[in-house]
Amino acid sequence: MKEEYICRCEEVTREEIERAIADGATTLSGIKKRTRAGMGLCQGRTCRRLITQMLSKTKNPAEITPPTSRPPVRAVKIGEIVEGEDD
Amino acid sequence: MKKTAEIVVIGGGVIGTSIAYFLSKRWKKVVLVERDDLASGSSGACDIDIILQSKNPGIHLKLAMASAEIYKNLPEELDFDIEYENTGGMILIEDEEQLNVMKEFVKKQRAVGLQVDLLDFKEATKLQKGLAPHLVGATYSPQDGHVNPLRLCIGFARAAAKRGAEICLGTAVTNIKTENGRVKSVVTNRGEIETEIVVNAAGVFTPMICEMVGMTAPIKPHRGQIIVTEPVPKFVMGAVLCAKYIVAKYNPKLLEGSDDLETRLGVGLSLSQTRNGNILIGGCREFVGYNRSTTHEAFVTILKHATRLVPALKEIHAIRSFAGLRPYTPDGLPLLGPVEGIEGFIMAAGHEGDGIALSPVTGRIISDIILDGKTFIDIAPLSPGRFGK
Repeated sequence: MKEEYICRCEEVTREEIERAIADGATTLSGIKKRTRAGMGLCQGRTCRRLITQMLSKTKNPAEITPPTSRPPVRAVKIGEIVEGEDD
Repeated sequence: MKKTAEIVVIGGGVIGTSIAYFLSKRWKKVVLVERDDLASGSSGACDIDIILQSKNPGIHLKLAMASAEIYKNLPEELDFDIEYENTGGMILIEDEEQLNVMKEFVKKQRAVGLQVDLLDFKEATKLQKGLAPHLVGATYSPQDGHVNPLRLCIGFARAAAKRGAEICLGTAVTNIKTENGRVKSVVTNRGEIETEIVVNAAGVFTPMICEMVGMTAPIKPHRGQIIVTEPVPKFVMGAVLCAKYIVAKYNPKLLEGSDDLETRLGVGLSLSQTRNGNILIGGCREFVGYNRSTTHEAFVTILKHATRLVPALKEIHAIRSFAGLRPYTPDGLPLLGPVEGIEGFIMAAGHEGDGIALSPVTGRIISDIILDGKTFIDIAPLSPGRFGK
């Protein structure tokens, strides 16, 4: 079977995520720390839903903590951040 | 059902997992309990530096140097890729005043045995590109390095489990029972574990565990914020700090009450690059209780400071920020060793921002103390009782 990528930014496969769950990860954050899924440029915008689905097989979906959203909301050039403030 | 263990370690961060590993290496029956997940606290919200140059010359630096020695063989020992690399590191110096402080710092560090040199601006730019022309120089040590703290925790935990340790995640300690001044058992949300020895490696949550045995611990959470960039080709030479970081670290009192935002937030540069290419830009030190939020104020101030010293960073995109709580102690040194009056209660906490650097040596010291009653270095200055009861 062809490899199925769940997190495209960091190229994390379904199998790697299944392994992380078997290793004891019970949260999106736990999977991220073991596989890098969600650490890429899009910050998990696509894969968080797919991973939540995978987690919900072993865990009550209502108990799955959503990932922490942190600034910036999209990739921003550092030059724009520091210069924007000086105006 | 009641479990038994020779030793219970509380905390699944870089300190607790290291201790579990070093104990299980000597075939002790260890149970590690972690209320959340491995690296779910400070060890998963920090930078990657194993920097010796930032340590106070004295026992602090000696511990870090001993730890660096253990790191060299650790990837093979754990049989796990912890992304360890001996890269060397620099501390950037902005003006003559800082230069004088760093000259003294370097002299004392050399006396302890650290290889460290003062570089002029020209020599500094050979090691790190993109530096601001106003810098007067930098210090350099080939002994600094970095490691992936997430993988370090996982690597220690797996290696410990291979040797029979039980790693219990999602297991919160609710009480510690003592009898006639001796530890008897650890009560968790998943049952009671009978044991004679408990190691408190709960990081910033150490005081809550101490309360269970009627002890107070002078550990306070010190918030640090870090910005993550997109992955870029190799840019940061290793671990790059600035002299102001050293001041923020050792003289926080000097910074309090300042009108300057950068100073008040305890901003000091800490720059490193992960194997994936993301640059981590830190940081600051704030007392805000257990608040793990990031703030816009720190986000901008940290980046302003960083780009003032390394303007080339302006061309790179930031993709995330995060905050972690460093377990601060009044003298900047961890609390290591047995607690007087509570037989079997061992402290291993309060590493502030040095937990990554000191993780291996802490594991070794605590396992030596428990199994042999002594270790290779005099740990009296780290005694948990040094601040009074």
